[in-house]
Amino acid sequence: MTAIRITRAGPLTTLQDAGRFGHLRHGISASGPMDRVAYIRAGAWLGGAGATAIEFTAAGLGLVVEGGPLAAACDGGSFTLHHNGKAMDWPARLMLQDGDVVEIAPGPAGNYGYLRFDREIDMPPLLGSRATNVVAGLGGLEGRALRRGDRLELGARERRTMSLHPRAVAPEDGPIRFIWGLHADLFTQDVRQNFIAGTFVISQRIDRMGARLEDRSGVFAGSPILSLVSDAVVPGDIQILGDGTPIVLMRDHQPTGGYPRIGTVIDADLDRVAQLRPGTEVSFEPVRLATAHVLLEAGSR
Amino acid sequence: MADMSAPTPPPANPVIVPLGDQGLLVRFGTTLSEEANLATIAFARRLQGRLPEGVSEIDPNLVSVLLKYDPRRIGFERLAGEVRLLIGAPVEAKARKLRRHKIAVSFGGQAGPDLEEVAATLGLSADAFVATHNARPLRVLTTGFAPGFVYCGFHPENFVVPRRTVVRPSVPAGTLLFAAGQSAITGTAIPTGWHVIGRTEFRNFDPKRDPPTILDEGDELTFEALP
Repeated sequence: MTAIRITRAGPLTTLQDAGRFGHLRHGISASGPMDRVAYIRAGAWLGGAGATAIEFTAAGLGLVVEGGPLAAACDGGSFTLHHNGKAMDWPARLMLQDGDVVEIAPGPAGNYGYLRFDREIDMPPLLGSRATNVVAGLGGLEGRALRRGDRLELGARERRTMSLHPRAVAPEDGPIRFIWGLHADLFTQDVRQNFIAGTFVISQRIDRMGARLEDRSGVFAGSPILSLVSDAVVPGDIQILGDGTPIVLMRDHQPTGGYPRIGTVIDADLDRVAQLRPGTEVSFEPVRLATAHVLLEAGSR
Repeated sequence: MADMSAPTPPPANPVIVPLGDQGLLVRFGTTLSEEANLATIAFARRLQGRLPEGVSEIDPNLVSVLLKYDPRRIGFERLAGEVRLLIGAPVEAKARKLRRHKIAVSFGGQAGPDLEEVAATLGLSADAFVATHNARPLRVLTTGFAPGFVYCGFHPENFVVPRRTVVRPSVPAGTLLFAAGQSAITGTAIPTGWHVIGRTEFRNFDPKRDPPTILDEGDELTFEALP
């Protein structure tokens, strides 16, 4: 039996596949990789990978291989990688043998990285997916983050397939594009103008639910606290909390919410938001829905 | 006697807006009302089993229905047009049978630590509060916020209290909550600012079931106090 044993896991290291779709009406958001392109790229290096990845956070990951041999690949952000003590490039494809040690340490950029294997992680899917929703305590390994000592058994080798290898996008490459949102008209013209003219800073409070922004110039400081009917939430929604804090909702968002949403980050740029580190300055640029669709199409090729 | 075969009137003209680049939101209101909620439920039922091309799932909310679509398969404008046609089309006569459920609840005490205070706020004894709460069936308004969390309403206007000012960090699955003219049942352990008035053995959410929830929007719930 081939397995991997976790020797070190940063906070909120989780198992993720493409996501648990189709259950919004039951109150379950889809989860899935924070940086979807990096997740796909990690699989593409293998030319046939199990759907389930280990998503690790900025602190990295350590593991030991039992059994094998097996192929693994990692991508996303820029981490420091050692295979049996030998420094490797990033991203990387690794051939692993029984007893091999993989150490992924913090690197110069990014919040999330992905480790995928040429086989599926052997655990039953929950509602059609092995993705972990930490907020709801669903999926993955017992609905929780991975920790030291966890052992993940791996199934049979996946069939080799032709896989697309999407281009990696630099997270800091220009403003984050969004389309005006559900409640944009509840903000004054001045606030909307200041929102797109202003600069925000990624705060320390980033997780799979959302990325809180620091609003140092006080764009939303005077906004009235609105009591809104709870309505559907989608990943990328830019929600303004009662104290004026903007937060970009991410993959483990609550499926509904009652805070005003000024806009929604386009799908093509949500991976970039996920990889922006605390302290990074960020600005927002409105685009038309048609533009978002053109970018989505381009990204999926 | 009402003619059960009569088609229900088409819902009021909703507003159709994008929600992100893969969501189309059909809004029957911007505030919570009986009319908007009923229109939402009726529209969600119309979509059941006949999702437009390119739509992967629908999510009915309190006063809106979200359609998740793939813009590579259908454009927003075309989908919005199809939605408008669906709303205008006559409904087939066969109405869906109303589903009724009985929910047995332990009110007050450790199961409902806020019951006394909420009753007092309304000028009622705890027993009178429970009697009023259970006097009429409630409708499942929607499932949302967390897995299997159901909003149920509406209570009469003189039976309304605001939410708590302090959020409880966690209440277990099966907690009966009360606030803002509604009751709610939790499907999982969640933090909440609603008042905790009781607990039920009923579990709306079980991820090992398919579908994972029992209650649908529009179902009728009758609450019963356990001795």
